Amino acid sequence: MMPKKIHSHKRSVKSSSRPKRRDTAFIISRLTLFFGVALLCFFGTKTLIKPQDAQPTCANSKSCISDLTEHIDNNTVGVFEGKKVMPPQIDEAALSDAPVLGANTEPGDKHIFVDLSTQTLYAFQGAKQVLKTFIASGKWGRTPVGNFHIWEKLKATRMAGGEGADAYDLPNVPWVMYFFHDFGLHGAYWHNNFGHVMSHGCVNMRQVDAKALFEWADGPDGSKLGTPVSICNQFTNGQCMQDNPVQ
Amino acid sequence: MTIRHQIEVETFSILLMAAAVGTSFAFFNNAPKIRNISVPVMAIAQVSPTPAPLPKAVVTSQTSPDGSKKLTMTQTINKDNSKTFAFVVTDSATNDVHPIYTVTLTDETMSIPYNAFSPDNKYVFIQYNAKDETQAWAMRADGQPINATTNEQYYNVTSLFTQKYANLTYDQVTGWASETLLIILTKNADGSEGQSFWFEVPSKAIIPLATQF
Repeated sequence: MMPKKIHSHKRSVKSSSRPKRRDTAFIISRLTLFFGVALLCFFGTKTLIKPQDAQPTCANSKSCISDLTEHIDNNTVGVFEGKKVMPPQIDEAALSDAPVLGANTEPGDKHIFVDLSTQTLYAFQGAKQVLKTFIASGKWGRTPVGNFHIWEKLKATRMAGGEGADAYDLPNVPWVMYFFHDFGLHGAYWHNNFGHVMSHGCVNMRQVDAKALFEWADGPDGSKLGTPVSICNQFTNGQCMQDNPVQ
Repeated sequence: MTIRHQIEVETFSILLMAAAVGTSFAFFNNAPKIRNISVPVMAIAQVSPTPAPLPKAVVTSQTSPDGSKKLTMTQTINKDNSKTFAFVVTDSATNDVHPIYTVTLTDETMSIPYNAFSPDNKYVFIQYNAKDETQAWAMRADGQPINATTNEQYYNVTSLFTQKYANLTYDQVTGWASETLLIILTKNADGSEGQSFWFEVPSKAIIPLATQF
């Protein structure tokens, strides 16, 4: 009789320890299931809704892929909206000895702001505004909102992209300042509708304004970044409002 | 409820909660991130204006986008209080001056829009400002008649458009889509932006567009 009791006691000890291990394993498995499904739903939903807010990485679908270097093509004809356009002649030596913007301004940090709501560009040197002018930002493609730096300055380059009736091939696009992939500030010689959206994502400027800005702004220099460029949904009283910035 | 059923219910609840949490985080993560950066803006000293005598001539101008030409309007007040508006185009390199148009008005005024010059500087458009509307007039930048056959000095783009599209509400001409195409905007009855058009300067063709400018 006694051994049976011992046996049953041992059995009861074993059975009381088994539920604890089962509970722990049960909780772990449930937690794993919970987080696994949550992560799956999180990334699945992000994948589904992301394309609506996706920022294209190219403004000019053809030249973005092929070439982003300086190109001066004098005596060539461009195409825009199905019509031939004559690009300006680029004189490689045509840069002023000293920049016009900020010439009589105390040295200070340079910063370029673009207000997409009013299609206006502002350039500051320290607290002093050295330029305010109309621009033409993305109509056929969105101009990316965010905070960037000029990563490349080119006196001129060729920009090409679009399809069908929207296809364009524009040599000698002048005074180019790339700030995000191939989105850049530059002169535009093929239209004169500044103050209104017109471009495929770049920030178009009148050639005289682009030249002045080009001569004033800094490109990258060694480890030093180029002049900051902030693309704002609104820029009011020195405040740059950015909805869902790219960076 | 058996233990098996209980486990199934619990598992299903966990799956449901996990799906809800994951999806909610995804939407929250995708919400617009509004970020402010600020730059100090210099305060502008306020100066009390002192009364100045009425100027005889008021000069306004607009440079072409490439900087090579300048359109200047000189407004002169005449003895009978009418106003004369004289437009000239000056070549920046040679300083050659081309008178392109002069008009004398009583109540109306004239003005130069920001995007006056066509991209190739061959044409300009100026604005005639009446009480109820602003009209866009397109003309050659060298002073020659825009239509050599009829000797018309300019095309009244606004009138030509409203004659053809009387059912639409003309809004404004904003600028040049190309060397010969002016952009016309219209308004819907509720004030929202309506259909856009091109006006081709040499031919006077009015082209409806599928997209709005």
